[in-house]
Amino acid sequence: MLHRDTVISDIAVHKPKVMAGIFAAAFVIFTLMGLKDTIFGALMAPVIGDPAEAGFSGNAATGLVLAILLTVNIVLIAFLPLRYQIGIVWLQLLLLFLTFFYSFDLKLSFIQTKIWFMITQGLFTTLYISAISIALASGLAIIGAVAKLSSNGFAFAIASFYTSFFRGIPLLMQIYLIYLGLPQLGFVIDAVPAGILALTLCYGAYMTEIFRAGIQSIDKGQWEASRSIGFGFGLTMRRIILPQSMPLIIPPTGNQFIAMLKDSSLVSVIGVWELMFLARTLGNKDFRHMEMLITAAMIYWMLTVCLELIQSRIERHYKSPQH
Amino acid sequence: MGIRHIFLGAALAVAGALSGATAFAGETLDQIMSSNTLKVATDPNWAPQSFLNDNNEMDGFDVDVAREIASRMGVEVEFVTPSWDIITAGNWNGRWHLSVGSMTPTTARGEILDFPGVYYYTPASAVVHNDSPYENVADLNGAKMAAGISTTFELYLQKDLTIDASGVPTFEYQITPGEYRSYETGAVALDDLRLGDGVRLNGVVGSLPAMLKAIENGYPIRVLGEPLFYEPLAIATDKGDAELNAKLSAIVDEMRNDGTLKTLSEKWYGIDYTTALN
Amino acid sequence: MTKTVIEMVGVNKWYGDFQALNNINLKVEEGDRIVICGPSGSGKSTLIRTLNYLEAHQEGRITVDGTDLHPRMKNVTQVRTNTGMVFQQFNLFPHMTVLENLMAGPIWVRKLPKAEARAQAMTYLDRVRIPEQADKYPGQLSGGQQQRVAIARSLCMNPKVMLFDEPTSALDPEMVSEVLDTMIGLARDGMTMICVTHEMGFAKAVADRVIFMDQGEIVEENAPKPFFDAPQNSRTKTFLGQILQH
Repeated sequence: MLHRDTVISDIAVHKPKVMAGIFAAAFVIFTLMGLKDTIFGALMAPVIGDPAEAGFSGNAATGLVLAILLTVNIVLIAFLPLRYQIGIVWLQLLLLFLTFFYSFDLKLSFIQTKIWFMITQGLFTTLYISAISIALASGLAIIGAVAKLSSNGFAFAIASFYTSFFRGIPLLMQIYLIYLGLPQLGFVIDAVPAGILALTLCYGAYMTEIFRAGIQSIDKGQWEASRSIGFGFGLTMRRIILPQSMPLIIPPTGNQFIAMLKDSSLVSVIGVWELMFLARTLGNKDFRHMEMLITAAMIYWMLTVCLELIQSRIERHYKSPQH
Repeated sequence: MGIRHIFLGAALAVAGALSGATAFAGETLDQIMSSNTLKVATDPNWAPQSFLNDNNEMDGFDVDVAREIASRMGVEVEFVTPSWDIITAGNWNGRWHLSVGSMTPTTARGEILDFPGVYYYTPASAVVHNDSPYENVADLNGAKMAAGISTTFELYLQKDLTIDASGVPTFEYQITPGEYRSYETGAVALDDLRLGDGVRLNGVVGSLPAMLKAIENGYPIRVLGEPLFYEPLAIATDKGDAELNAKLSAIVDEMRNDGTLKTLSEKWYGIDYTTALN
Repeated sequence: MTKTVIEMVGVNKWYGDFQALNNINLKVEEGDRIVICGPSGSGKSTLIRTLNYLEAHQEGRITVDGTDLHPRMKNVTQVRTNTGMVFQQFNLFPHMTVLENLMAGPIWVRKLPKAEARAQAMTYLDRVRIPEQADKYPGQLSGGQQQRVAIARSLCMNPKVMLFDEPTSALDPEMVSEVLDTMIGLARDGMTMICVTHEMGFAKAVADRVIFMDQGEIVEENAPKPFFDAPQNSRTKTFLGQILQH
């Protein structure tokens, strides 16, 4: 949280001028949006008559009602304690979102027939590709970080070239390069390994920097103490330095995993049947693309929310004194 | 030109620099026979040729043709689903043996792929939004046009289409787009067209069967005028395996002569598209 | 006949242009208890850190328990385990319990069985009088307790000589004596010790010899009594005047 002053000024939304401003802006915007032909206009029918014939006054009346509702809503929410404010605003935004999707005239029964396959085939593939990739990327990142911190010219050059290259070109291009390029060297790999390899190399490059920062954050005294009881480099790294870097490494790695989950959608181009691939393909026959895209979006979102919750728990865990 | 296309170009440039390994004569055929599996690449984003059906299985005209080819070779069939631009990029390296993907055998593609057999022809047509004022194809000059990326429809709009196959009716470039956009697939272009005339697009060029299917599914679009050109559609193999090509060529001829192709076309399109028209 | 544990002959060390050690000659025999003092920047920490090769010297010769120290030596582990080092900032491993700190070296370097390492660790914890803290983490201990754990950690490697690098400088005043008591106990048991410290009371109580360093050189070296009562060099006099005036 921002560090708050102890002096409290009036809540902005309880100042009449501010509210008048919000109300006026909302009225103008809602009116200009011409909402009389939407579900709002239909609800207003008793006042404005048949929406189709209501004209500008219909739009204005609908806009006025919506503006009043919005303003009253804001004022009321502002009276509530913080927790309720957050909850209610979330709920309202969610409802707005759902209304937006609803307006697409989605065929829910179609989603119902496909969602299970999207989860068992698509989500499962997305998850296992991401999980394997993040594990391999972590290993690569340790090696990369050690190489970048070493005084060996070859190691440093190779590692910095690697991070520079893989951070410098788009992931989608890496996927193409690996899938189409590697066979030219005689290594014909399938789509899934190619996707995992691309994600691993790309995220390994980003995570090299995370691991490097984590290792560098450890006090020189730890290295010296470790050496003074006879630990060599490997033992020092494994037993002393890395375990202490973990609190600094794991939270950003969790973020990388969440990001990777979404980036893994790029491997759909090489024909891996993950979530994004199915989102594009399943709706094709029946021309139900929006249904599938929105369903996939929801699945990605839910998953990300879950992972973010886990992530914040991990962060809290590592903030405890023993770590 | 789409961003994807540029990436692919660069990827291919690198791949090309590393020098391509083409299949040796008989090599791919041996692989098919020894593994007892014909691996067929087809992009399931092209209903009704190739798509995922209600049971989430591969289905469609191309898929049926592929199944039939495999059964006549006496092997199992297995489908892989790389995106269209990867299939057309060639250098398959044995990842799959055959493309049954309604591919037009253009000269440019002929440099990296072999086309052992034309198995049907589709008319390519322009569609516009129902609310649009366009009456005939010539009205689309200067309009915002679109097609799927790496398709012959795209090449047609770019006036760069050469169809390298026998029995193709001649055609003229009837449209000079004011603005051209390429899409991931033709289906996405239709989704933009349905937003309204000129909202994002004025017209889309694509295969007539796919357009008719979209109209059947309630898309507010209509076909404009006569077909722009007829597109022969062939099965494709990676460059260089003459034995495999000879075998496939014989199978396709056989399927045309015994009426199998006609039956399949009528099953999926309701029309026989398998002979050159007019 | 006593055995020479450490010998330094004509040792020089530079950091760039700055000469940190200037022609150091020092001989330490088994059972010797040596205190090194001097103003900050005089090179006393550098000197003690060259003895387990945390710092490399550039000229001269250092021999520890018969091994010549040089950058390509193969038995650096042996040298370091023979010389226990106690740091000003304790440098305990914060992610391990006290007991794990003590067992780490014996288990992973000496390859001792776990039970044996644990028994030995408990013995040394007893010796520094904090066995009840065995399962706590360093962060939960006071500074004085942490430094005693650090001493025990070094002892667990059964070193031939203990090196103390200002062991009480980072402590709150009320904790200094518990650490010094531990060190005095060690000295009584006959441990060979080299100790960089300003605790003159400790020097008087246990040291055989006191060494005064300034600007990288050993200025004066003597038994405690003559050293404190009748310093010879004017720099020694000035220094002692500054730290003993209270």
